[in-house]
Amino acid sequence: MKWLFIISAIIAGSSVFAQDSAESKTGKWEINGYIKNMQSLYFDKNFNNSVSGNLLHNRINIKWKPSEKITTVAEVRSRLFWGEEVKLTPEFASQLRNENEIVNLQQTWINKTSLVLLSNVERLYIDYQERNWNLRIGRQRINWGETITWNPNDIFNTYNFLDFDYEERPGVDGGKFKYLLNNFSNIELACATNGNKDGSVAAIKYALNKWGYDMQIITGWYHNQPTIGAGWAGNIKEAGFKGEVQYFIPARDSLPHLNVTLESDYMFKKGWYVNFGLLYTNQGFYKPVDNWEDIHLQFSPKNLMPTKWNIMLTTSKQFTPLFTGSMSTVYAPGTNLLIIFPTFQYNIATNLDITLVWQSFFSRYQNRFQAGNHSVFLRMKWSF
Amino acid sequence: MKTLCLIIAFNFFHPLFAQNASDIVKKADEKMRGSTSQAELTIKTIRPSWTRSMEVKVWVKGNDYSMILVQSPAKDKGIVFLKRKKEVWNWMPALERTIKLPPSMMSQNWMGTDFTNDDLVKESSVVNDYDHSIVGDTVIDNRSCYIIQMIPKPEAAVVWSKLIVCIDKKDFLELHTRFYDEEGKIINIMNAYDVKTMDGRLIPTRFEMIPADKKNQKTEMTYKTIKYNRPIEDAFFTSEKMKTLN
Repeated sequence: MKWLFIISAIIAGSSVFAQDSAESKTGKWEINGYIKNMQSLYFDKNFNNSVSGNLLHNRINIKWKPSEKITTVAEVRSRLFWGEEVKLTPEFASQLRNENEIVNLQQTWINKTSLVLLSNVERLYIDYQERNWNLRIGRQRINWGETITWNPNDIFNTYNFLDFDYEERPGVDGGKFKYLLNNFSNIELACATNGNKDGSVAAIKYALNKWGYDMQIITGWYHNQPTIGAGWAGNIKEAGFKGEVQYFIPARDSLPHLNVTLESDYMFKKGWYVNFGLLYTNQGFYKPVDNWEDIHLQFSPKNLMPTKWNIMLTTSKQFTPLFTGSMSTVYAPGTNLLIIFPTFQYNIATNLDITLVWQSFFSRYQNRFQAGNHSVFLRMKWSF
Repeated sequence: MKTLCLIIAFNFFHPLFAQNASDIVKKADEKMRGSTSQAELTIKTIRPSWTRSMEVKVWVKGNDYSMILVQSPAKDKGIVFLKRKKEVWNWMPALERTIKLPPSMMSQNWMGTDFTNDDLVKESSVVNDYDHSIVGDTVIDNRSCYIIQMIPKPEAAVVWSKLIVCIDKKDFLELHTRFYDEEGKIINIMNAYDVKTMDGRLIPTRFEMIPADKKNQKTEMTYKTIKYNRPIEDAFFTSEKMKTLN
């Protein structure tokens, strides 16, 4: 495992030297990434107790193009966690593993009671590009979504929409073949596995652009269930109109799952952007829970939200070219789950951003509407 | 009789004048645009206490097709915008995803600059979407210019209610533009400078966009290179190509 990091480090190092001579002429090597530092504070419902967390986070993305048609990509994410959060979370390090990955490319360098340092190879693939087809093998992200907030069509690698600090989102180990039928339509075949029995996903997607709409239909197998889906992205007048539907056909030991999302966005004058989303999950619950802990925000392609009906409204505005604010509100009737999620970002210098994020959760439990918990995050990000 | 003569004369000259104004606008537009263009630009957003600079590569084919690739700063590198007819997509390299943008985004400021999406990719056509008339003459940087008023056609989907454009009489260079909103209030002023020969054409190579109510701020766009009329196939302006630009 360690050799991989050493190779990455050498590649990263050598390409820095290569930049002046080689890159400008051939463009064969490319490296970029960032370093982030995030301070977190997690409060209980009444702000009586708090737990702090610290995270130093580095990502290095390396791209090598040995020829016009071949691209190889390696992306390594290293994270150093320390403080109370690590100390108070049992098995902290092992919880950070991406369950979709069959090959364990995660290396834990330090695993102490209140200090954890680990690295994971987040992407590692080879891509072959012909004029009308493309093949990508390895650890990659298979992004089949059309909408912005919730993606029922994203059956390979669901992401947590609350995890704002994971911009790239998780990937899978698999392969993807794409064939372009013409400029406006293509067929994609993809498969991925996590190595477990019934842990494979294989699907085919047909995508088409017509009448001002991007449209897609999907059919395949998700674990042990056949699944079908469709998605679209278009406009009604000046507003965006997007949606996705995914149905998991019941098989032995599994229930039918239906996820539907509808979304519309619009940019008002003076730069006010508004996005409205709706999500229906047939297996989600629609009644108040007994305890806050009963609401599990653990996501999977079948379970995009624990609650049945969900609406989300996001407003964002660039107050100045350097200062952006946004406010997201998620509400699930029945359960009365409410998530309030404001974000403020300020660009201190060209590649240096500071972000403040607040997340508050409320719900009806123990017969009254009350807070579940609150978190606040302060993050600095330097991109290179 | 006199009146009749006048009416005939008016009807005779009026379309001729309109024709002239349209021809001038057409020549100026054709000059900057060509049938296709590929340009590398530096876009600098300037405020009293700070400046941010961005480098982009832009491909344009007619009014229907355009692509913008952000090359720097590092945090935005690889972001691509594609416009095909009325549809606009955004490629986010960190997400590895294409996001379709609502058309309402076209009239808003682009990535923190004082230019709108539309200014950059020229979705609306100054030739086809407006009625043109010559309203006077002026001199800018020792160049004698026509002052042309442009009013959008009723059916045109255009943000502005009026444009006042100054076009050089000899070389058909658009040197100054004023943008007015629906209430007739001036919103932006664009000036063009540094007239140079690039790829065999004499063009202004530096443009500044100044919001009319904020005189101490502006965005400056400078052409580093531009190539005209090189064939670009339609297949280049597709979301598949957008993903492979880097």
